[in-house]
Amino acid sequence: MGSADHLREIEADALGRLGAAGDLEALAILEAEVIGPGSPIMEARRGLKDVPQEDRKELGRAINEVKTSIDAAIAARRRHLAASAGEARLAAERLDITLPGRAPARGTHHLVRQVWDEVVDIFMALGYSVADGPEVETAHYNFDALNTPPTHPSRFESDTLYVDYGDDPEGVLLRTQTSPVQARYMEAHPPPVYIVSPGRTYRRDTTDATHTPVFHQMEGLAVDDHITFADLKGTLAYFANEFFGSGRQVRFQPHFFPFTEPSAEMHFSCFACDGSGCRTCGHSGWIELLGCGMVDPNVLATAGYDPAAVSGFAFGMGIDRLAMIRYGIPELRYFFDPDLRVLGQFR
Amino acid sequence: MKLSVGWINEFVDLPINDPGELCDVFNQLGLEVETWQAVEAGFSGVIVAEVTEVLLHPNADKLRVVTLDTGSGLHTVVCGAWNFEAGATVPLAMPGAVLPGGFEVGSRKIRGVESPGMICSERELGLGEGSEGILMLGEGYAPLGADFASTLPYPDVVFDLDITPNRPDAMSVYGVARDLAACFGLPLRGPNTGFEEEGQPTTASVRVEDSERCPRFTAREIRDLAIGPSPLWMRLRLRDCGVRAINNVVDVTNYVTLELGQPLHAFDLDRVPEETLVIRRAAPGEHLTTLDSIDRVLSDEDLLVAGPSDGLALAGIMGGENSEVAPDTTRVLLEVAHFSAPHTLLSGWRQKLRSEASARFERGVDPELPPIASGRAAALMGRLAGGAIAPGFIDIYPTPIEPVVVELPAAETERLLGVAIPPSEIAGILTRLGCEVEGDGPFRVTVPTYRPDVTRPADLVEEIARLYGYDNIPSSLPRGPGGGLSRTQRRARLASAAMVGAGYSEVMSFSFVAPGDIAALGLPPDDPRNRPIRIRNPLNEEQALLRTSLLPGLLTALRVNQARNHPSAALFETGLVFLPGPADLPDQPRRLAFAAVGPRPAPRWTGEGPDRDATDAVGVLESLAGALGIEMQIEQGSDGAFHPGRCGTVLVGGWAVGVVGEIHPAVASAFEVTGRVAAGEIDLDAVLAAESGAPFLPPSPLPPVVFDLAFDVDAGVPAGQLTAVVAAAGGPTVESVTLFDVFSGPPLAEGRKSLAVRLTVRDPERTLTDEEVAPLRSAVAAAVAERLDGRLRGG
Repeated sequence: MGSADHLREIEADALGRLGAAGDLEALAILEAEVIGPGSPIMEARRGLKDVPQEDRKELGRAINEVKTSIDAAIAARRRHLAASAGEARLAAERLDITLPGRAPARGTHHLVRQVWDEVVDIFMALGYSVADGPEVETAHYNFDALNTPPTHPSRFESDTLYVDYGDDPEGVLLRTQTSPVQARYMEAHPPPVYIVSPGRTYRRDTTDATHTPVFHQMEGLAVDDHITFADLKGTLAYFANEFFGSGRQVRFQPHFFPFTEPSAEMHFSCFACDGSGCRTCGHSGWIELLGCGMVDPNVLATAGYDPAAVSGFAFGMGIDRLAMIRYGIPELRYFFDPDLRVLGQFR
Repeated sequence: MKLSVGWINEFVDLPINDPGELCDVFNQLGLEVETWQAVEAGFSGVIVAEVTEVLLHPNADKLRVVTLDTGSGLHTVVCGAWNFEAGATVPLAMPGAVLPGGFEVGSRKIRGVESPGMICSERELGLGEGSEGILMLGEGYAPLGADFASTLPYPDVVFDLDITPNRPDAMSVYGVARDLAACFGLPLRGPNTGFEEEGQPTTASVRVEDSERCPRFTAREIRDLAIGPSPLWMRLRLRDCGVRAINNVVDVTNYVTLELGQPLHAFDLDRVPEETLVIRRAAPGEHLTTLDSIDRVLSDEDLLVAGPSDGLALAGIMGGENSEVAPDTTRVLLEVAHFSAPHTLLSGWRQKLRSEASARFERGVDPELPPIASGRAAALMGRLAGGAIAPGFIDIYPTPIEPVVVELPAAETERLLGVAIPPSEIAGILTRLGCEVEGDGPFRVTVPTYRPDVTRPADLVEEIARLYGYDNIPSSLPRGPGGGLSRTQRRARLASAAMVGAGYSEVMSFSFVAPGDIAALGLPPDDPRNRPIRIRNPLNEEQALLRTSLLPGLLTALRVNQARNHPSAALFETGLVFLPGPADLPDQPRRLAFAAVGPRPAPRWTGEGPDRDATDAVGVLESLAGALGIEMQIEQGSDGAFHPGRCGTVLVGGWAVGVVGEIHPAVASAFEVTGRVAAGEIDLDAVLAAESGAPFLPPSPLPPVVFDLAFDVDAGVPAGQLTAVVAAAGGPTVESVTLFDVFSGPPLAEGRKSLAVRLTVRDPERTLTDEEVAPLRSAVAAAVAERLDGRLRGG
């Protein structure tokens, strides 16, 4: 008992058994056996008190060396076994990573809203702000303030939805354009004015491929002491290139609107075929985009501006139309279809 | 408006004839081309021949054998038509001729008689749909043997132009030619109006009783007319412009209308009582049967051209049947008048009647035109219908319309266009357009009467720009002072993004609802949403009311999706609703509403989620509040459209801003939606305006005391109320109160439930001990006991 040889046997036996421990559980049992109470090495240590004083110190040191060696072996074996156990778990946890993920369900922004926001952003980059106004509007702001003569056909009940509100049967209506916002805004703000006003508009149209009684328009207005037709051309060319991609050519043709003079219709070179003619542009190479012009002096004067001191341009475009053109949506009524197969494509 | 290039070339020698190039020119002038079409004789090998002899076919009752003089000899063919005899001039297709459709004419035996070629009808030549018989060309039409195709006004190109309302001057061939002449700087030829008057002066008379609606009225008698078909060239011109040929007198009035833009009307003078025309307002309820055979009831705002008693024509719009030119008509009174634009427009609108005449009068016709157009028509009727023009031209024009004079400041053109055009060029452009220009800046411009739209400097600038070329104006990019989105606009985008992030898709519904949709919401009678505003002239009853809530649109959208086999749908919409208010216009608050039905979405391979219920609706609002950084409280509430036990009032800053929960099953089924519908509707403006208000609190390094309390309360006590009572009783050191368990049943008594909350308590200054928290526990328990009759369980 307690000889150096005995200690070496203990050590060799312990190390041998530890090396054979197959997993962490077996190791835990072994650990108790080789180093726990009653284990040979602990018994050796307990027997130390019976060893003669002169040998005790050296034997004690030898026992400690063996104990340290066994401890180290246990730790090493544990690290080893833990590592392989981890690997095994990882191997067992293998997952088909191509399965659909657990993302929270997401909805979609309506395509018209996306285009709406994008157009707003384009004009904000030019220093514009956003104005809005009521959808049920007075005939004054929708027509009179915009220089629309009392006999203009757009006022007819065949074209405009009138609202039963107040005493005048033709006094209140669903706005037919976002232009009344112009008139309201100018009344409330002195020049300079740089605004866009997107919104819902209404016409007495039966729903078909290209008509719905509700649609969306974006009005633009710039009034300042130096605004010219050249500014109108440049601004809309900038817009066409930002929205439809660079390289768009623009063309302006004389047109007529009661609230602008001179007036123009703007076309841009087809983004799908670059102007060579395709289905998107009806083989003309050009796509009609919007109506625009220099704000009519009567409109400026009605708003309280001096038409001799300031000038401005205005334009109005269909947001739905922009979306139809850019995304190849064949019919306007899809925008009012709540079918998830439609909405789901508006990503 | 359709017109042909050949016709235009009668007035101006166009330097270009390529249709594509002409298209560009028209468009640049603001005469927008809708379509254009090349027109040509669709046949070849047809000659002009004269019938010399007609014999019955020896072997057939319905056929005849016809001999013709072709100018170079006699030619015999078999013919089945019977509308001609010897002496007629007809088109003869010789063997080898090709007719429209590629039909090649040969020589064949018909019932034993050889027939080399055929005599042709209008239809066989593609020149008209009208007569079944042989086309009669009229004596002396062309030398015999002449190639018939080359006698036609072809090839030609017909343009269909969309003339804007401000361009009455361009509502005619002549007017368009005038604009093209101005564009190219070319001389313009006037129409041929030469004729001689003959015979006794006319005995007809005219009285104008309303010279506001009829500022000018001219009349001319034409006698000795022989009504018959118009010559082929005129019929073809009319056809190509979309006008049906009728007879030589009516065709002339239509032809001159198209050519000069001045409507004309011919009355059969023998059917005008007392040969007297009176231009007067209709009596209220007076009847007139117009040429379209419609018996019209007139108002006293409508203007009539009448006889001494009865109306004969709706002035400027359409003639009456009672004085129509008929095959036996021999003399006409030709009306060429100027009717005021707004009155014609309104009269046509009242009668729902638009004609070639009213389309022109309602825009404004040149008041100087009537004598010219009258002369042109008289000359043509003389030539084509054998008419004799009676002396005595009646022209009632008491107050001549003076040309407008506009002062154009020197700098105005550059100020509006952004390009410096030399004064000489400005004057040149305006002169080419028919203006008289004095001065070289400022300019004193006298505008021709055919441009009633040009009255102000801005109008002149448009004309200058038009001829200078919009394309030649430079481009520049002005920038505004900036501003960006307002706080509300920014937060509206956040709100939408939060809804999309919460799994909801945005829909856009019409702003109209049907009366049934409002009723289906099951709201109490005094609910403002039950008082929708009506559209006075709705397209149909389904779209007759303005929406007072976004829910009907969303419920309809859910139904559509269920019907299309999408059992799980989550939708939202933002938009205005319309409610009666105190102001001139209705209240138009902006709302956000959402509705969802069916299983909560989950990837298919993990199985469907459970069906949605009211807690999903509350969860959406929590996401929304989180995105906007605001506090939103839900209180037990009630709303007619919602499940009475699953409805909450949404509060922001103590104000009710909406409703949330589950749609009432009866309401859902009224909208044909099956299953529980989680839904909510909030006042978006109020929610966006809310401030978050909570100050930033640096996280404390000190540990909290966390403990749970479970209360036995009446089943009717809302959890929100319990947590509020606990938080209030706990005082400022309570960091959070979170409800984490709800249950009922044993061991709890019937009608009771357990609500368990976890409190996190922390003092920013020091570490709390359990002993220090004990009084807080007691205070909370006491408050719950007192205010909610709740007992602390296990306490």
